[in-house]
Amino acid sequence: MLAYLTQRLAVGAVSLFGVAVAVFLIMRVIPGDAAVMLSGAGGGVVSEQELQDVRHKLGLDRPLPVQFADWAAKVAVLQLGTSLRTGNRVIDDAARRFPYTLQIVVMAMVLAVVGGIPLGVLSAYRAGSWLDQGLRLVSIGGLAAPSFWIGLIIILGLIWLFEWSAPLVWEPFWVSPLQSLSQLVWPALAVGFRQLALIARMTRSMMLEVLGEDYVRTARAKGVAEASVVLRHGLQNALLPVVTVIGFEFSALFGGLIVTESVFSVPGLGQYVVDSILNRDYPAAQGIVLILASFVVVSNVTVDMMYGWLDPRVRVQDA
Amino acid sequence: MDTAGFRLTRRDVLRTTGSLLTAATLGWPTRAAAQAAAPKRGGTLRVSNGGDPPDFDIQQTATYLTQFLAAPCYSTLMREDVSDPTRVVPELIERWDIAADGRTVTLHVRKDVAFHNGDVLTAEDVKYNLDRIRVPPKGIVSPRKGQLANIESVEVRGPLTAIVHLKQPQPDFLFLISNPFNGIYPKKVVEPLDQTGQGMKRQIVGTGPFRLARATEGQIYELVRNEKYWGPAPYLDRMQFFPIKGEVERAAALQGKRVDGCFFFASESVLQSLAKVPGMVTLRRPNPIFINLIPNVTKKPFDDPRVREALSLAIDREAFIKTVGPLAGAFYHSLGLMPPKSPYSLTAAEVKQFSGYDTLPGLGGNIAANRQKAIALLEQAGVPKGFKIVIPTRGDVPAFRDSAINVSSQLKLVGLDATVDVRDAGAFYQLETKGDFQIVMHSVAIAGAQPDQILGEGYTSFGGRNYGGWKNEALDDLYRAQSAELDAKKRVEAVRQFQLAFLKTYNQVNLAWVGYAAAHASTLHGWVPMTDLYNNMQMSRVWLST
Repeated sequence: MLAYLTQRLAVGAVSLFGVAVAVFLIMRVIPGDAAVMLSGAGGGVVSEQELQDVRHKLGLDRPLPVQFADWAAKVAVLQLGTSLRTGNRVIDDAARRFPYTLQIVVMAMVLAVVGGIPLGVLSAYRAGSWLDQGLRLVSIGGLAAPSFWIGLIIILGLIWLFEWSAPLVWEPFWVSPLQSLSQLVWPALAVGFRQLALIARMTRSMMLEVLGEDYVRTARAKGVAEASVVLRHGLQNALLPVVTVIGFEFSALFGGLIVTESVFSVPGLGQYVVDSILNRDYPAAQGIVLILASFVVVSNVTVDMMYGWLDPRVRVQDA
Repeated sequence: MDTAGFRLTRRDVLRTTGSLLTAATLGWPTRAAAQAAAPKRGGTLRVSNGGDPPDFDIQQTATYLTQFLAAPCYSTLMREDVSDPTRVVPELIERWDIAADGRTVTLHVRKDVAFHNGDVLTAEDVKYNLDRIRVPPKGIVSPRKGQLANIESVEVRGPLTAIVHLKQPQPDFLFLISNPFNGIYPKKVVEPLDQTGQGMKRQIVGTGPFRLARATEGQIYELVRNEKYWGPAPYLDRMQFFPIKGEVERAAALQGKRVDGCFFFASESVLQSLAKVPGMVTLRRPNPIFINLIPNVTKKPFDDPRVREALSLAIDREAFIKTVGPLAGAFYHSLGLMPPKSPYSLTAAEVKQFSGYDTLPGLGGNIAANRQKAIALLEQAGVPKGFKIVIPTRGDVPAFRDSAINVSSQLKLVGLDATVDVRDAGAFYQLETKGDFQIVMHSVAIAGAQPDQILGEGYTSFGGRNYGGWKNEALDDLYRAQSAELDAKKRVEAVRQFQLAFLKTYNQVNLAWVGYAAAHASTLHGWVPMTDLYNNMQMSRVWLST
């Protein structure tokens, strides 16, 4: 097991190096120039000499391999550099913004898992009933409705119904738990609804497949309690692909909250990475992409580990 | 229909009437109303005007995001008179003298003005700031250096006297130094920062009624009252700026009472939806912001005036305003290069002599005939039918994006294969800065509406907005001549001559003027909207009734 974990982490490290090379090159290849943006682009014509001065100051006039080696060496000791746009250390900017994004992701996934799996099971168990039809309608609606639209509906609904809207001054959960929950539950609902719908759909289809298996019929024939048939024989065997989806969605949400964060004005990582890319803030964009990639790697390794826990057939044995 | 300035349609009349009725009901801060109400001290004004400011160096920037945030913290040497925008009044100077030759301006600096860090304002600070704007130190960018290019030198004579020597007389000089982007920094603070190439990008140290208390990028920028402010104490205790990029999201924040005011909207549909919200005050006013079609005259075939004239002929300006107006606020038009209703405007007859401008609303032009002429001109210039034109534009600003889309579709009607290349701001500005384009649509916002402000920045070869790379000494001389003219009547004529000469070149083709909108809760009082976007954003006279 330990060897497998080490191997997966090693593969993850290689993936991260690949991501580092890719994001570095992409940021340099896409049209645009950090010097132009830093020189007050849009305010008038800037001379080439002025741009050259800015490039020199930032070290952007050095050869690309030198720039990469310099950046990679710093990243290796966990120094992501200084944002060209905010003037702060990228790690500080990320640390300030990450809790909000993480809280939305966790709350959305908790909502999705706690709601989606039971709904999926219920829907499959009562397949074809009015309950099933209703739940399918809700889940299709969740998949079809964009989260930014749901977000706006939530904001306007709160104003209309309660004449209330979340304050714009943000505090992390550990500073002001109630305020933080009252602010972030709404974006979590907006994105979590889609995840809930997805998990419910996936659970339903897997449960339908599993509930038709011979071993389920055998369990029922043996007189096993119905709840045990559904949950132990059915759900446990249906969960594997659902867990895969949960793992994928969990990691995808980190990079997929951009619009929702914007709608709710949440100062999370999504807006930061977009602003960094748009402003050609190379250290910030590269640093945040690496952080997000790290989460995808960790999330994938975690899901791989969970396979073995959920299904003994795929459990890895130490040699 | 008024053809001398604004396009005035039935819809405008209804809209204006509605706004006035709303104003009368909800207390829109007209100058008279602002003076009549009894101000109340205290409270926090929460505003959102867009995303994060890129930095805090008001002199280095051209964006309202920085200016709106920093304006309450800075004072300028002079400022536009709130009660009469055609005048300027002293702010950090007590008075000024202009020598008989018109070339020497003595600025008497106000006594006992302290910066936020406690330093006292002196003439040395004034000199450093004026020099910084006109000849920025290495690594410092000054978008308005052209506006102060007429300064020959600045001399300090005593702690509170600065003498500005001009190359030639310039009646607009006091307007130029009153530009709200020309906030005054303490020399002791800014000089060492300039040597690092950073300038005041990360701190705010001014003499304004508010000072920066905290700045958390992506979350909040908070200003608190400057208790040592040299002028009348501001009413508000603090101001909070929240970065909310999208207009729809800002409108939702306003509607949800998360903020009290937004002073920057483009979209008409967003503004209309806010106008229906009880307790909301909305307004839109024409600003000195123009959208121009700018051909790159350094590239063929746009070096040929016939081709540029054909571009102008191809555009139905009324159709442009009807389409792009509701999206970008480009509702207005003017006669000539000066803003709508300017005393320097040309007559309709004068404007109609220039190809394509007869399609401005109310001028009765025949667009079909114009396009036939455009096709003929393109043929004469040897431009083949189906000639490919790529119009790069930035996708995040309607004034750029929607203008480019509209123009590309109109150019197709004269046989040009025009397509739009939508890019993000970084990629667009790289192309524009390098001159790597055929034509662009550019929205230019000017602080102030005097000839030297509009023409100097927008229409001289040395001005900051010469994206098309044209050179024309004769035009520049005409500009300098009007700039130096002290006689008001002769000045009008000189400005007229400049405009007629410029329009003839088609170096830039004016399409429309923009009016940005604002919306705020009716509990916000004392804000007097000026004729441009940037002036009177200091907010020292603003107060909250609840």
